[in-house]
Amino acid sequence: MEDKQPYTVLAVDDNLLNLKLIEKSLSKEGYRIFSADNGPDARKIADKEKPDLILLDIEMPGENGFEVIKKLKDDAGTNSIPVLFLTGVSEVDSKLKGFELGAVDYIIKPFHPLEVLARVRIHLKLSIATNSLIAGQANKLKQVTEAQVSMMPTPEENPKALFGVFYQALEEAGGDFYDILNISEKITGYFVADFSGHDIKISYMTASVKALLAQNCTPVYSPAESIKLINDVLVEILPEGKYLTACYMHINRTTKKLTIINSGHPPVVCMPKKGDPYLIKMDGDVLGMFKDAHFGVQSFDVEEGDKFFVYSDGLVESAENKVTWASGADSLLPTYKKVAKVPYDKAPTELVKQLFGEDSLLEDDIVVLCVEV
Amino acid sequence: MDFKDLASRLGIDDEDFMELVELFVTTSLSDIDKIKKGFQEGNCDDAAAASHSIKGASGNLGFDDIYKLSMEMEMQAKQGSLENFENFISDLESMVTALNSI
Repeated sequence: MEDKQPYTVLAVDDNLLNLKLIEKSLSKEGYRIFSADNGPDARKIADKEKPDLILLDIEMPGENGFEVIKKLKDDAGTNSIPVLFLTGVSEVDSKLKGFELGAVDYIIKPFHPLEVLARVRIHLKLSIATNSLIAGQANKLKQVTEAQVSMMPTPEENPKALFGVFYQALEEAGGDFYDILNISEKITGYFVADFSGHDIKISYMTASVKALLAQNCTPVYSPAESIKLINDVLVEILPEGKYLTACYMHINRTTKKLTIINSGHPPVVCMPKKGDPYLIKMDGDVLGMFKDAHFGVQSFDVEEGDKFFVYSDGLVESAENKVTWASGADSLLPTYKKVAKVPYDKAPTELVKQLFGEDSLLEDDIVVLCVEV
Repeated sequence: MDFKDLASRLGIDDEDFMELVELFVTTSLSDIDKIKKGFQEGNCDDAAAASHSIKGASGNLGFDDIYKLSMEMEMQAKQGSLENFENFISDLESMVTALNSI
Protein backbone atom coordinates (compact mmCIF):
# COMPACT_ATOMS: atom_id res chain seq x y z
CA MET A 1 0.00 0.00 0.00
CA GLU A 2 1.25 3.45 -0.80
CA ASP A 3 2.05 5.64 2.19
CA LYS A 4 0.05 8.83 2.45
CA GLN A 5 2.00 12.06 2.35
CA PRO A 6 2.32 13.28 5.96
CA TYR A 7 1.00 16.70 6.93
CA THR A 8 3.81 19.17 7.30
CA VAL A 9 4.26 21.79 9.99
CA LEU A 10 6.83 24.54 10.03
CA ALA A 11 7.87 25.49 13.59
CA VAL A 12 9.57 28.85 14.03
CA ASP A 13 11.15 29.78 17.35
CA ASP A 14 14.50 31.27 18.26
CA ASN A 15 14.55 28.97 21.27
CA LEU A 16 16.18 25.75 20.15
CA LEU A 17 14.66 23.77 22.98
CA ASN A 18 11.13 24.82 22.12
CA LEU A 19 11.75 23.80 18.53
CA LYS A 20 12.96 20.39 19.64
CA LEU A 21 10.00 19.94 21.95
CA ILE A 22 7.53 20.76 19.16
CA GLU A 23 9.41 18.55 16.73
CA LYS A 24 9.43 15.59 19.09
CA SER A 25 5.80 15.78 20.08
CA LEU A 26 4.41 16.40 16.59
CA SER A 27 6.64 13.97 14.68
CA LYS A 28 5.63 11.26 17.12
CA GLU A 29 2.05 11.73 15.84
CA GLY A 30 3.05 11.38 12.21
CA TYR A 31 3.61 15.00 11.19
CA ARG A 32 6.65 16.03 9.25
CA ILE A 33 8.34 19.01 10.87
CA PHE A 34 10.45 21.75 9.34
CA SER A 35 12.07 24.11 11.78
CA ALA A 36 13.60 27.56 11.62
CA ASP A 37 15.09 29.68 14.40
CA ASN A 38 14.64 33.01 12.61
CA GLY A 39 12.18 34.86 10.38
CA PRO A 40 14.01 35.00 7.04
CA ASP A 41 14.81 31.25 7.15
CA ALA A 42 11.21 30.53 8.08
CA ARG A 43 9.93 32.45 5.06
CA LYS A 44 12.36 30.68 2.76
CA ILE A 45 11.22 27.27 4.01
CA ALA A 46 7.55 28.27 3.84
CA ASP A 47 7.98 29.34 0.25
CA LYS A 48 9.86 26.21 -0.80
CA GLU A 49 8.06 23.52 1.19
CA LYS A 50 4.54 25.00 1.42
CA PRO A 51 3.84 23.46 4.83
CA ASP A 52 0.23 22.70 5.80
CA LEU A 53 0.53 24.86 8.92
CA ILE A 54 3.00 27.25 10.58
CA LEU A 55 3.69 27.62 14.30
CA LEU A 56 5.33 30.97 14.79
CA ASP A 57 6.95 32.53 17.82
CA ILE A 58 6.33 36.28 18.08
CA GLU A 59 9.28 37.37 20.14
CA MET A 60 12.38 36.69 18.09
CA PRO A 61 15.51 38.75 17.56
CA GLY A 62 15.87 40.38 14.15
CA GLU A 63 12.69 39.85 12.14
CA ASN A 64 9.97 39.22 14.73
CA GLY A 65 6.89 37.04 14.32
CA PHE A 66 4.64 39.94 13.27
CA GLU A 67 6.92 40.87 10.43
CA VAL A 68 7.09 37.23 9.38
CA ILE A 69 3.27 36.81 9.30
CA LYS A 70 2.89 40.04 7.38
CA LYS A 71 5.36 38.93 4.73
CA LEU A 72 3.84 35.45 4.53
CA LYS A 73 0.37 36.93 4.04
CA ASP A 74 1.62 39.35 1.39
CA ASP A 75 3.11 36.50 -0.62
CA ALA A 76 0.58 34.71 -2.86
CA GLY A 77 2.54 31.49 -2.51
CA THR A 78 2.21 31.34 1.26
CA ASN A 79 -0.82 33.46 2.19
CA SER A 80 -3.25 30.57 2.49
CA ILE A 81 -1.11 28.61 4.97
CA PRO A 82 -2.69 28.85 8.43
CA VAL A 83 -0.40 30.48 10.99
CA LEU A 84 -0.68 29.85 14.74
CA PHE A 85 1.45 32.11 16.85
CA LEU A 86 3.08 31.51 20.19
CA THR A 87 2.74 34.33 22.65
CA GLY A 88 3.10 35.13 26.35
CA VAL A 89 -0.02 34.98 28.53
CA SER A 90 -0.14 38.66 29.43
CA GLU A 91 0.38 40.05 25.96
CA VAL A 92 -3.18 40.95 24.92
CA ASP A 93 -2.02 43.49 22.37
CA SER A 94 0.18 40.97 20.68
CA LYS A 95 -2.69 38.48 20.38
CA LEU A 96 -4.89 41.09 18.75
CA LYS A 97 -2.12 42.19 16.45
CA GLY A 98 -1.47 38.57 15.45
CA PHE A 99 -5.12 38.08 14.47
CA GLU A 100 -5.18 41.37 12.67
CA LEU A 101 -2.24 40.24 10.57
CA GLY A 102 -4.04 37.06 9.58
CA ALA A 103 -3.09 34.41 12.14
CA VAL A 104 -5.80 31.80 12.77
CA ASP A 105 -5.08 31.16 16.44
CA TYR A 106 -2.52 31.53 19.19
CA ILE A 107 -0.92 29.27 21.76
CA ILE A 108 0.07 30.73 25.10
CA LYS A 109 3.62 30.24 26.32
CA PRO A 110 4.81 28.30 28.13
CA PHE A 111 2.95 25.85 25.97
CA HIS A 112 2.07 22.27 26.64
CA PRO A 113 3.02 19.96 23.76
CA LEU A 114 -0.35 18.21 23.93
CA GLU A 115 -2.12 21.53 23.54
CA VAL A 116 0.06 22.35 20.56
CA LEU A 117 -0.86 18.98 19.08
CA ALA A 118 -4.58 19.54 19.68
CA ARG A 119 -4.52 22.99 18.10
CA VAL A 120 -2.47 21.83 15.14
CA ARG A 121 -5.03 19.06 14.57
CA ILE A 122 -8.06 21.31 14.74
CA HIS A 123 -6.57 23.91 12.40
CA LEU A 124 -5.47 21.30 9.91
CA LYS A 125 -9.02 19.93 9.93
CA LEU A 126 -10.42 23.41 9.35
CA SER A 127 -7.95 24.02 6.60
CA ILE A 128 -8.77 20.70 4.91
CA ALA A 129 -12.49 21.49 5.09
CA THR A 130 -11.98 24.99 3.68
CA ASN A 131 -9.76 23.73 0.90
CA SER A 132 -12.21 21.04 -0.12
CA LEU A 133 -15.02 23.59 -0.09
CA ILE A 134 -13.03 25.87 -2.35
CA ALA A 135 -12.08 22.98 -4.62
CA GLY A 136 -15.72 21.90 -4.75
CA GLN A 137 -16.93 25.36 -5.65
CA ALA A 138 -14.22 25.83 -8.24
CA ASN A 139 -15.15 22.50 -9.76
CA LYS A 140 -18.82 23.43 -9.89
CA LEU A 141 -18.08 26.80 -11.46
CA LYS A 142 -15.91 25.02 -13.99
CA GLN A 143 -18.83 22.77 -14.87
CA VAL A 144 -21.10 25.79 -15.35
CA THR A 145 -18.52 27.42 -17.57
CA GLU A 146 -17.99 24.25 -19.56
CA ALA A 147 -21.74 23.88 -19.89
CA GLN A 148 -22.05 27.43 -21.20
CA VAL A 149 -19.33 26.86 -23.77
CA SER A 150 -21.06 23.82 -25.16
CA MET A 151 -24.52 25.24 -24.63
CA MET A 152 -26.14 23.41 -27.48
CA PRO A 153 -24.29 20.29 -28.52
CA THR A 154 -24.30 19.70 -32.28
CA PRO A 155 -24.97 16.39 -34.04
CA GLU A 156 -21.48 16.64 -35.57
CA GLU A 157 -19.92 16.65 -32.10
CA ASN A 158 -22.03 13.68 -31.04
CA PRO A 159 -22.16 11.27 -34.00
CA LYS A 160 -22.96 8.30 -31.77
CA ALA A 161 -26.06 10.03 -30.41
CA LEU A 162 -27.73 9.69 -33.87
CA PHE A 163 -29.81 12.84 -33.72
CA GLY A 164 -30.78 15.83 -35.81
CA VAL A 165 -31.94 19.14 -34.44
CA PHE A 166 -33.79 22.29 -35.35
CA TYR A 167 -33.21 25.08 -32.86
CA GLN A 168 -34.40 28.63 -33.04
CA ALA A 169 -34.61 31.15 -30.23
CA LEU A 170 -36.62 34.35 -30.65
CA GLU A 171 -34.34 36.18 -28.24
CA GLU A 172 -30.77 35.66 -27.18
CA ALA A 173 -31.89 34.28 -23.88
CA GLY A 174 -34.37 31.83 -25.26
CA GLY A 175 -36.53 29.76 -22.98
CA ASP A 176 -35.98 26.55 -24.93
CA PHE A 177 -32.90 24.43 -24.77
CA TYR A 178 -31.73 20.91 -25.24
CA ASP A 179 -28.80 18.79 -24.20
CA ILE A 180 -27.23 15.51 -25.22
CA LEU A 181 -25.71 13.35 -22.50
CA ASN A 182 -23.25 10.71 -23.51
CA ILE A 183 -23.72 8.52 -20.46
CA SER A 184 -21.65 5.66 -21.86
CA GLU A 185 -20.59 4.27 -25.21
CA LYS A 186 -24.07 2.89 -25.93
CA ILE A 187 -26.24 4.91 -23.56
CA THR A 188 -27.36 8.42 -24.44
CA GLY A 189 -29.68 10.87 -22.75
CA TYR A 190 -31.66 13.51 -24.67
CA PHE A 191 -33.07 16.42 -22.75
CA VAL A 192 -35.42 19.06 -24.12
CA ALA A 193 -36.78 21.76 -21.87
CA ASP A 194 -38.65 25.01 -21.93
CA PHE A 195 -38.24 27.59 -19.18
CA SER A 196 -41.22 29.62 -18.11
CA GLY A 197 -40.62 33.18 -19.27
CA HIS A 198 -37.90 34.76 -21.38
CA ASP A 199 -35.25 36.83 -19.71
CA ILE A 200 -31.54 37.02 -19.32
CA LYS A 201 -31.67 35.13 -16.02
CA ILE A 202 -32.68 32.10 -18.03
CA SER A 203 -29.31 31.78 -19.72
CA TYR A 204 -27.73 31.47 -16.30
CA MET A 205 -30.37 28.97 -15.22
CA THR A 206 -29.91 27.01 -18.42
CA ALA A 207 -26.24 26.69 -17.55
CA SER A 208 -27.17 25.48 -14.08
CA VAL A 209 -29.57 22.87 -15.46
CA LYS A 210 -26.93 21.67 -17.90
CA ALA A 211 -24.41 21.37 -15.08
CA LEU A 212 -26.97 19.41 -13.06
CA LEU A 213 -27.62 17.12 -16.02
CA ALA A 214 -23.91 16.48 -16.37
CA GLN A 215 -23.65 15.70 -12.67
CA ASN A 216 -26.70 13.52 -12.32
CA CYS A 217 -27.23 11.71 -15.62
CA THR A 218 -24.73 8.97 -14.98
CA PRO A 219 -24.85 5.18 -15.17
CA VAL A 220 -25.26 5.15 -11.38
CA TYR A 221 -28.77 6.63 -11.44
CA SER A 222 -31.87 5.46 -13.26
CA PRO A 223 -33.36 8.14 -15.57
CA ALA A 224 -36.16 8.74 -13.04
CA GLU A 225 -33.65 9.12 -10.22
CA SER A 226 -31.57 11.58 -12.26
CA ILE A 227 -34.57 13.81 -12.94
CA LYS A 228 -35.73 13.59 -9.32
CA LEU A 229 -32.28 14.70 -8.11
CA ILE A 230 -32.22 17.57 -10.59
CA ASN A 231 -35.74 18.60 -9.56
CA ASP A 232 -34.78 18.70 -5.88
CA VAL A 233 -31.85 21.03 -6.55
CA LEU A 234 -33.87 23.23 -8.90
CA VAL A 235 -36.62 23.64 -6.30
CA GLU A 236 -33.95 25.18 -4.07
CA ILE A 237 -32.21 27.39 -6.61
CA LEU A 238 -34.87 28.62 -9.04
CA PRO A 239 -36.42 32.01 -8.32
CA GLU A 240 -40.02 31.86 -7.18
CA GLY A 241 -42.48 31.23 -9.98
CA LYS A 242 -39.79 29.90 -12.34
CA TYR A 243 -40.04 26.35 -13.53
CA LEU A 244 -39.46 24.32 -16.65
CA THR A 245 -41.30 21.74 -18.62
CA ALA A 246 -38.97 19.03 -19.78
CA CYS A 247 -38.67 15.70 -21.46
CA TYR A 248 -35.79 13.38 -20.80
CA MET A 249 -35.34 10.44 -23.14
CA HIS A 250 -32.82 7.77 -22.24
CA ILE A 251 -31.78 5.18 -24.80
CA ASN A 252 -29.68 2.11 -24.13
CA ARG A 253 -28.66 0.93 -27.59
CA THR A 254 -27.28 -2.35 -26.22
CA THR A 255 -30.41 -3.51 -24.41
CA LYS A 256 -32.63 -1.63 -26.91
CA LYS A 257 -34.51 -0.10 -24.02
CA LEU A 258 -35.91 3.42 -24.09
CA THR A 259 -37.14 5.37 -21.10
CA ILE A 260 -38.97 8.66 -21.21
CA ILE A 261 -39.45 10.96 -18.25
CA ASN A 262 -42.00 13.67 -18.86
CA SER A 263 -42.49 16.71 -16.69
CA GLY A 264 -45.32 18.80 -18.04
CA HIS A 265 -43.89 18.65 -21.55
CA PRO A 266 -45.56 17.93 -24.93
CA PRO A 267 -45.67 14.19 -25.72
CA VAL A 268 -42.82 12.47 -27.54
CA VAL A 269 -43.70 11.28 -31.03
CA CYS A 270 -42.65 7.75 -31.84
CA MET A 271 -42.13 6.93 -35.48
CA PRO A 272 -41.57 3.16 -35.69
CA LYS A 273 -39.54 1.78 -38.57
CA LYS A 274 -42.70 0.03 -39.66
CA GLY A 275 -46.05 1.59 -38.89
CA ASP A 276 -47.63 4.95 -38.28
CA PRO A 277 -46.35 7.66 -35.92
CA TYR A 278 -48.05 7.96 -32.55
CA LEU A 279 -47.84 10.06 -29.40
CA ILE A 280 -46.46 8.81 -26.11
CA LYS A 281 -48.74 10.67 -23.72
CA MET A 282 -47.96 10.97 -20.01
CA ASP A 283 -48.90 13.23 -17.16
CA GLY A 284 -46.15 14.72 -15.03
CA ASP A 285 -45.47 17.73 -12.81
CA VAL A 286 -43.27 20.54 -14.07
CA LEU A 287 -39.59 20.58 -13.07
CA GLY A 288 -38.24 22.81 -10.30
CA MET A 289 -41.57 23.65 -8.68
CA PHE A 290 -42.42 20.93 -6.15
CA LYS A 291 -40.18 19.00 -3.83
CA ASP A 292 -42.35 15.87 -4.05
CA ALA A 293 -43.06 16.18 -7.77
CA HIS A 294 -44.39 13.21 -9.69
CA PHE A 295 -43.13 12.69 -13.22
CA GLY A 296 -44.48 10.57 -16.03
CA VAL A 297 -42.22 7.57 -16.64
CA GLN A 298 -42.46 5.01 -19.43
CA SER A 299 -40.01 2.39 -20.55
CA PHE A 300 -40.33 0.17 -23.59
CA ASP A 301 -38.36 -1.91 -26.03
CA VAL A 302 -37.31 -0.32 -29.28
CA GLU A 303 -35.76 -1.47 -32.54
CA GLU A 304 -32.94 -0.15 -34.60
CA GLY A 305 -34.29 2.39 -37.07
CA ASP A 306 -37.15 3.57 -34.82
CA LYS A 307 -37.26 7.35 -34.64
CA PHE A 308 -38.40 9.61 -31.84
CA PHE A 309 -39.24 13.30 -31.92
CA VAL A 310 -38.79 15.36 -28.79
CA TYR A 311 -39.76 19.01 -29.14
CA SER A 312 -40.86 22.12 -27.33
CA ASP A 313 -44.36 23.54 -27.29
CA GLY A 314 -43.46 26.20 -29.88
CA LEU A 315 -43.83 23.50 -32.53
CA VAL A 316 -47.44 22.76 -31.76
CA GLU A 317 -48.85 25.80 -30.03
CA SER A 318 -50.11 28.86 -31.72
CA ALA A 319 -51.18 31.90 -29.75
CA GLU A 320 -52.61 33.32 -32.94
CA ASN A 321 -54.79 30.29 -33.57
CA LYS A 322 -55.34 29.55 -29.87
CA VAL A 323 -53.96 26.06 -30.12
CA THR A 324 -52.31 24.45 -27.10
CA TRP A 325 -50.08 21.42 -27.32
CA ALA A 326 -52.62 19.27 -25.55
CA SER A 327 -54.87 19.51 -28.57
CA GLY A 328 -52.23 20.56 -31.12
CA ALA A 329 -50.00 17.52 -30.77
CA ASP A 330 -52.55 15.07 -32.20
CA SER A 331 -53.22 17.22 -35.22
CA LEU A 332 -49.54 17.06 -36.20
CA LEU A 333 -49.36 13.32 -36.67
CA PRO A 334 -50.17 13.47 -40.39
CA THR A 335 -47.28 15.92 -40.86
CA TYR A 336 -44.87 13.50 -39.14
CA LYS A 337 -46.00 10.86 -41.59
CA LYS A 338 -44.83 13.12 -44.41
CA VAL A 339 -41.29 13.18 -43.04
CA ALA A 340 -41.19 9.45 -42.25
CA LYS A 341 -38.69 8.74 -45.01
CA VAL A 342 -36.46 11.74 -44.26
CA PRO A 343 -33.19 10.74 -42.53
CA TYR A 344 -33.09 11.61 -38.82
CA ASP A 345 -30.47 14.34 -39.24
CA LYS A 346 -32.67 16.29 -41.69
CA ALA A 347 -36.09 15.41 -40.28
CA PRO A 348 -36.41 18.28 -37.75
CA THR A 349 -35.78 21.01 -40.33
CA GLU A 350 -38.05 19.31 -42.82
CA LEU A 351 -40.80 19.02 -40.20
CA VAL A 352 -40.62 22.73 -39.35
CA LYS A 353 -40.69 23.55 -43.07
CA GLN A 354 -43.78 21.41 -43.56
CA LEU A 355 -45.54 23.05 -40.61
CA PHE A 356 -44.60 26.70 -40.96
CA GLY A 357 -43.59 27.04 -44.59
CA GLU A 358 -40.15 27.99 -45.91
CA ASP A 359 -39.62 31.48 -44.44
CA SER A 360 -42.44 32.12 -42.04
CA LEU A 361 -41.94 34.15 -38.84
CA LEU A 362 -42.01 31.94 -35.80
CA GLU A 363 -44.20 32.86 -32.84
CA ASP A 364 -42.10 31.17 -30.19
CA ASP A 365 -38.78 29.51 -29.52
CA ILE A 366 -38.64 26.13 -31.15
CA VAL A 367 -36.50 23.10 -30.57
CA VAL A 368 -37.11 19.83 -32.36
CA LEU A 369 -34.93 16.80 -31.85
CA CYS A 370 -35.16 13.67 -33.94
CA VAL A 371 -33.37 10.66 -32.53
CA GLU A 372 -32.85 7.33 -34.21
CA VAL A 373 -32.28 4.17 -32.23
CA MET B 1 11.99 15.99 40.67
CA ASP B 2 10.20 13.11 38.96
CA PHE B 3 11.36 13.10 35.36
CA LYS B 4 9.12 10.23 34.39
CA ASP B 5 6.12 12.16 35.62
CA LEU B 6 7.19 15.32 33.80
CA ALA B 7 7.76 13.36 30.59
CA SER B 8 4.37 11.69 30.74
CA ARG B 9 2.66 14.99 31.49
CA LEU B 10 4.22 16.38 28.33
CA GLY B 11 3.13 13.33 26.41
CA ILE B 12 6.62 12.36 25.29
CA ASP B 13 8.91 9.38 25.88
CA ASP B 14 11.39 9.35 28.80
CA GLU B 15 14.23 9.05 26.34
CA ASP B 16 13.12 12.11 24.36
CA PHE B 17 12.59 13.98 27.58
CA MET B 18 16.15 13.24 28.78
CA GLU B 19 17.49 14.45 25.46
CA LEU B 20 15.54 17.69 25.89
CA VAL B 21 16.79 18.09 29.47
CA GLU B 22 20.38 17.74 28.28
CA LEU B 23 19.76 20.32 25.60
CA PHE B 24 18.08 22.56 28.15
CA VAL B 25 21.07 22.39 30.50
CA THR B 26 23.53 23.21 27.72
CA THR B 27 21.57 26.15 26.31
CA SER B 28 20.65 27.48 29.76
CA LEU B 29 24.27 27.43 30.95
CA SER B 30 25.19 29.41 27.87
CA ASP B 31 22.29 31.82 28.59
CA ILE B 32 23.47 32.14 32.20
CA ASP B 33 26.89 33.19 30.89
CA LYS B 34 25.12 35.88 28.86
CA ILE B 35 23.22 37.06 31.96
CA LYS B 36 26.50 37.16 33.90
CA LYS B 37 28.12 39.22 31.17
CA GLY B 38 25.13 41.55 31.01
CA PHE B 39 25.21 41.94 34.75
CA GLN B 40 28.95 42.73 34.74
CA GLU B 41 28.53 45.27 31.94
CA GLY B 42 25.32 46.71 33.35
CA ASN B 43 23.52 45.71 30.13
CA CYS B 44 19.91 45.11 31.16
CA ASP B 45 18.68 44.25 27.65
CA ASP B 46 21.10 41.37 27.25
CA ALA B 47 20.31 40.08 30.72
CA ALA B 48 16.56 40.28 29.99
CA ALA B 49 16.90 38.51 26.62
CA ALA B 50 18.90 35.62 28.07
CA SER B 51 16.49 35.32 31.02
CA HIS B 52 13.60 35.28 28.55
CA SER B 53 15.15 32.37 26.71
CA ILE B 54 15.57 30.31 29.89
CA LYS B 55 12.06 31.25 30.96
CA GLY B 56 10.51 29.98 27.70
CA ALA B 57 12.32 26.67 27.69
CA SER B 58 11.90 25.88 31.40
CA GLY B 59 8.20 26.72 31.28
CA ASN B 60 7.57 24.35 28.41
CA LEU B 61 9.48 21.52 30.08
CA GLY B 62 7.63 21.99 33.34
CA PHE B 63 10.61 23.17 35.44
CA ASP B 64 8.46 25.53 37.49
CA ASP B 65 11.12 26.84 39.92
CA ILE B 66 13.50 27.77 37.13
CA TYR B 67 10.60 29.30 35.20
CA LYS B 68 9.51 31.51 38.11
CA LEU B 69 13.03 32.72 38.87
CA SER B 70 13.93 33.47 35.27
CA MET B 71 10.63 35.27 34.76
CA GLU B 72 11.33 37.48 37.75
CA MET B 73 14.82 38.19 36.42
CA GLU B 74 13.50 39.05 32.98
CA MET B 75 10.83 41.41 34.33
CA GLN B 76 13.26 43.16 36.63
CA ALA B 77 15.90 43.55 33.91
CA LYS B 78 13.27 44.86 31.49
CA GLN B 79 12.48 47.52 34.08
CA GLY B 80 16.15 48.47 34.09
CA SER B 81 17.27 46.95 37.36
CA LEU B 82 19.90 44.29 37.90
CA GLU B 83 19.64 44.44 41.66
CA ASN B 84 20.19 41.14 43.44
CA PHE B 85 21.28 39.52 40.18
CA GLU B 86 24.40 38.08 41.75
CA ASN B 87 22.22 35.87 44.00
CA PHE B 88 19.71 35.19 41.25
CA ILE B 89 22.44 34.01 38.91
CA SER B 90 23.98 31.72 41.47
CA ASP B 91 20.56 30.21 42.39
CA LEU B 92 19.70 29.74 38.75
CA GLU B 93 23.03 28.12 38.01
CA SER B 94 22.67 25.61 40.82
CA MET B 95 19.10 24.76 39.79
CA VAL B 96 20.18 24.12 36.22
CA THR B 97 23.29 22.12 37.09
CA ALA B 98 21.22 20.07 39.55
CA LEU B 99 19.33 18.73 36.54
CA ASN B 100 22.58 17.23 35.28
CA SER B 101 22.99 14.93 38.22
CA ILE B 102 19.63 13.25 37.82
